[in-house]
Amino acid sequence: MEQDSVEKYGLDLHCTMMLEEYRENRKSFEKILEISLGCIRDLLAKNGILVTAVEGRVKEEKSLAGKLELKGHKYRCLSDITDIIGTRVITFYTDDVDKVAALAENSFEIDWENSVDKRKMHQLDSFGYMSLHYVCRIPKSMYFDPEHPEINTIRFEIQLRTTLQHMWANMNHDCGYKGDVEIPIEHLRNMNRLAGVLELADDEFSRIRTAVNDYRRQVQNLVASGKFSEVALDIDTFRSYLNMKPFDKLNRRIAAINQAEIHDASLMPYLALFKYLGFKTLGDIEELKKSSSDDAYQLATLEIGGTDIDIISSTVAVQDLCIVHILKSGAGEQGLTDFFDQLNGQSAYNRTRAARLMEKTSRLAFMNK
Amino acid sequence: MEVTINQNENKFDVVLVGRLDTTNADQFQKDIEPLMQGEKPEITLDCSAMEYTSSQGLRMFLMLQKSVNSRGGSMVMTGMSPQVKEVFDITGFSNIIRII
Repeated sequence: MEQDSVEKYGLDLHCTMMLEEYRENRKSFEKILEISLGCIRDLLAKNGILVTAVEGRVKEEKSLAGKLELKGHKYRCLSDITDIIGTRVITFYTDDVDKVAALAENSFEIDWENSVDKRKMHQLDSFGYMSLHYVCRIPKSMYFDPEHPEINTIRFEIQLRTTLQHMWANMNHDCGYKGDVEIPIEHLRNMNRLAGVLELADDEFSRIRTAVNDYRRQVQNLVASGKFSEVALDIDTFRSYLNMKPFDKLNRRIAAINQAEIHDASLMPYLALFKYLGFKTLGDIEELKKSSSDDAYQLATLEIGGTDIDIISSTVAVQDLCIVHILKSGAGEQGLTDFFDQLNGQSAYNRTRAARLMEKTSRLAFMNK
Repeated sequence: MEVTINQNENKFDVVLVGRLDTTNADQFQKDIEPLMQGEKPEITLDCSAMEYTSSQGLRMFLMLQKSVNSRGGSMVMTGMSPQVKEVFDITGFSNIIRII
């Protein structure tokens, strides 16, 4: 399809020539955008940085014409305009802006003279736009096509900001830059006050994340050093505990009854069950293992010993430990029924199973102590 | 073991009748091949007439469950007799397969 002439924008000769150059280079712009976005996404994935969004665009011709109309005289040539290709990474946390920035510095050629950290430009008493803008080039080590050397010379922009900074920038743009009326200063001041509040919120989110990560590390260290009684039972601690395969020994012992294979299954659903049974710390589970593993083994022998079953789930050990705990606590048939309701969902069968277990286990040694 | 499969798009109503053990596990595996295909299957296994399952049967159900999980589907076993359910309970398979 034949394009309209760039003269339709009514710009002066200098700006019209820049627009023509834009059209000639449009495919290269698209290629640079593709390469830069691909690289950024790879970097984030390899470094495990979760972000809200990675986005990019090549400035539309109409938008560029508008910019040239307003300030075309500022630019000697098209390459002076560094935001024709723009990418943006929106992070969850302020710390991640710096992490992504460091990755970008190591991967792209940065034009430091034209890059700007708006976060550091505010005075002590001013708040507003906060974002890190890098002007970059694709290095030859990343991509080189001898037929298109311009891919390595044309500059593009990377904007790095947090989700809250992004939100503020968008709202501010929507409210403050409508060209038809001048916005009263009180409204602009209110917008900047909000920027201060969001800056505080950003810092607080980062502080909370750091504190949570510190707590996780501390707990993992306690688990690794075997100080189980000091570790409260929760998702993180239970997961760390399970990584130590605490029930493997008992599972292997039970499997050996019939030379059975063990099918590996998640034990995470047992977290809720341990809490239901009143366990508060990992130490409580360890204590159960110490005091009741032999009894759980007896129970398993009673259940599968006389059968030809040669496959068990890795949940058997913990299941039998819980059953023994309930039986020893004296909670009886009702206690078992409630436990099975929690474990497998409510059904009339659970009471039948509980009654059967009460009868069968009455012969076991631990029930007669 | 007799296997009857009624399919409506991705929904499979399966009726299992008889015993499942080493003597008929291979045939059972062939019979359930239609359940091993397609995205997001919703499988209901009616076990009210299933008389017995051996360890080999447990392996078959486990294989089917894994296949269903990998295709983003769901599987539920219903109507089990207490004798059959006991096998699933004492092996811990009740924790892996949804049984109602």
